[in-house]
Amino acid sequence: MAKEIIMPKFGFTQEESEILEWLHAEGDRVEKGDPVAVVSTDKISMEVEAPEDGILGGIRYQVGDNVPVTNVIAYILQPGESAPEIALDEPESTKVELAVAEQRTEVQVTPVAKKLMDENKLELDEIISFAGESKITRATVEAYLSANSLARTGKIRATPAARRLGREHDLKLAAISGSGPKARIQAADVTQALSGQKKEAITPALQKKTLPLNNIRKTISRNMLQSWQEIPQMTLQADIPVSRLEAYRETLNQSISQKSKKITVTALITKAVAKALQKNPILNSQFDGDKIQLLDQINIGVATALDDGLIVPVVHQTDKKPIAAISDQIRYLSERARSGKLLPDDLSNGTFTISNLGMFEIDRFTAIINPPQSAILAVGKKNRVFMPAEDNSFHVEEIITFTLSADHRVMDGAQAARFMGDLKSILQNAEDL
Amino acid sequence: MREISYMEALREAIRQAMEKDDRVFMIGEDIGVYGGAFGVSAGLLDQFGPERIIDTPISEAGIAGACVGAAVTGMRPIGEIQFSDFVVLAMEQIVMQGAKMRFMFGGKATVPFVIRLPGGSGTGAAAQHSESLENWFVHVPGLKVVMPSTPYDAKGLLLAAIEEDNPVMFFEHKLLYKTKGHVPEEMYTIPIGKSNLVREGKDLTIIATSIMVPRAIEAAEKLSAEGIDIEIIDPRTLKPLDDQPIIASIIKTGKVLIVHEAVKTGGFGGEISAVISESEAFDYLDAPIRRLAGLDMPIPYNRTLEYHAVPQVEDIIEEARNLYQGKY
Repeated sequence: MAKEIIMPKFGFTQEESEILEWLHAEGDRVEKGDPVAVVSTDKISMEVEAPEDGILGGIRYQVGDNVPVTNVIAYILQPGESAPEIALDEPESTKVELAVAEQRTEVQVTPVAKKLMDENKLELDEIISFAGESKITRATVEAYLSANSLARTGKIRATPAARRLGREHDLKLAAISGSGPKARIQAADVTQALSGQKKEAITPALQKKTLPLNNIRKTISRNMLQSWQEIPQMTLQADIPVSRLEAYRETLNQSISQKSKKITVTALITKAVAKALQKNPILNSQFDGDKIQLLDQINIGVATALDDGLIVPVVHQTDKKPIAAISDQIRYLSERARSGKLLPDDLSNGTFTISNLGMFEIDRFTAIINPPQSAILAVGKKNRVFMPAEDNSFHVEEIITFTLSADHRVMDGAQAARFMGDLKSILQNAEDL
Repeated sequence: MREISYMEALREAIRQAMEKDDRVFMIGEDIGVYGGAFGVSAGLLDQFGPERIIDTPISEAGIAGACVGAAVTGMRPIGEIQFSDFVVLAMEQIVMQGAKMRFMFGGKATVPFVIRLPGGSGTGAAAQHSESLENWFVHVPGLKVVMPSTPYDAKGLLLAAIEEDNPVMFFEHKLLYKTKGHVPEEMYTIPIGKSNLVREGKDLTIIATSIMVPRAIEAAEKLSAEGIDIEIIDPRTLKPLDDQPIIASIIKTGKVLIVHEAVKTGGFGGEISAVISESEAFDYLDAPIRRLAGLDMPIPYNRTLEYHAVPQVEDIIEEARNLYQGKY
């Protein structure tokens, strides 16, 4: 019996998934557990497996379709078996196609139109799709012929005056649509096109290119809107000297020969943040309506920019990991993120987020809290500044500006400030990390 | 200024020319006592006598032959063909002799005669008395062809034709004879080969001849109420054609409608159209050159059919409007 393959439900709030790829075609033999399709949940790609051995058949959705969870997407068939008939609640597009097919039998073509079509070797289908009418007359065919004269003959229908204007202004008539009889281009059409051109030079017409929201974008927009509307966010900023941190990093890296194993600044900051969170557990929390939940793990997410969105892989138990492990994990996660291979676990249970735009030459910025977390730390680029001492002498110091956004429902400015102070002292005593 | 009819303007031109120059005389059928089929020569017999107002037997070949012979021997005859249709009988003398002599004799002979030809339909005179044959003569080298549309032009062009040393075919229109207009009493000429800008406009040029000029003016007045601004040019002389004003007008308006009463096929409109196409005006055409002309049929005797066989005011309005609006 045909075994249904359904769109799996990967998360409790998930309502639909997008089909990204069919890994097998209809008729392919598959074994139980073989991946047959790649689908996308909110932020990551998942594989759908064959529920039993057999032949893939009756594929009901194409790549790009968003399919409600638990809907049948295909079947596993046994030899000689065929996929069940399409159920009545199939998508509307199929119905429309059937309706069109039925309509075609009712198209009326006048004898003169038929003769004209035969002479010009025109297919009924192209005339119908051009005219959108069920009665084809000579006028319909003539309109089609003139509208397609450029495509059919390679020649442009234009008056001599229109051609002259086009020549004088170096304007290609092919780009202009004619308002004259049989779509002939007239002088006024060229003049209009020219005035449009000139206008463009001053105020270009607004062109729109539609970018449909993919699942990552949908999730980001939903979460960020919710955060911005619901969370009273306060921001605190501190310039923290990092010369000693840099020196410590160099010391650490001297003993590491493999380039891909070198400790990154982000890793050191992540470790420092974990330590600061240990001292300030209120920042490692969730706001839950009438209460605040302090979390027993410190799982720091590191925001990673992808081509099609932002993703936040999580370094679980950050406080319990040594710097080298954190550095490796961040590198590993961001590579998997960029190749789309993150697993649901890699993204779940973050308790605090670090967003670093230093590599984009940003001095400082404010990040929006990623709910349900209570705070996010925005990291700018390393800058060299003159730093005055007590005696008004000065030296050159490297600093990074850290900006903390925190949920004011959960904490007050002083608590957030204490966290920043602790972070500063941890970073300035990097050797103790 | 004094207003007289087209017919009176022609008569005045003939009288003044005959008073001024003894070599000018008139020859035709029933032009004496009867005063001509349309009354153009009424009273001239009394003033000038039968030697200068010569009634002939019914022989168009005779009239034309006498004109050619008199012209080459120093006279300046005015021949009248009672209805222009009958000119078919005079073709040999006009085309084979009159038109060619000056050239065949190496310029030693001049042939200064005028043939007056009342043409056109609209009088219920049927197929043999209603034709518009002007373009036949446009096709003959050696002949000049004139076609006045107003009393002023009729007098000035006829006096110019009489002064002209080459044969001139002078086409009058039966329906124009009674139309009135300002005409100076003194002698004056309108140069042959000079067109008239009848009405200035910017949207569309109508080139009309003879009776079609007043019809085009009436049409233009009505179209101006619709916001269509028509320019009208009357060539007045079909040959030699004053083409530059036509070309300039089309460069201005980009659209042209040619209106004449003669049948469309082989009519003078085709010649004007070709002149335009060959000129620099081609690159300014923003619509096909259109012709509105008589139907390709003999003029019917039935008055209703006759009316519809040639362009009327409403036809010009419709054609010009459609051309202006791009519905053609």
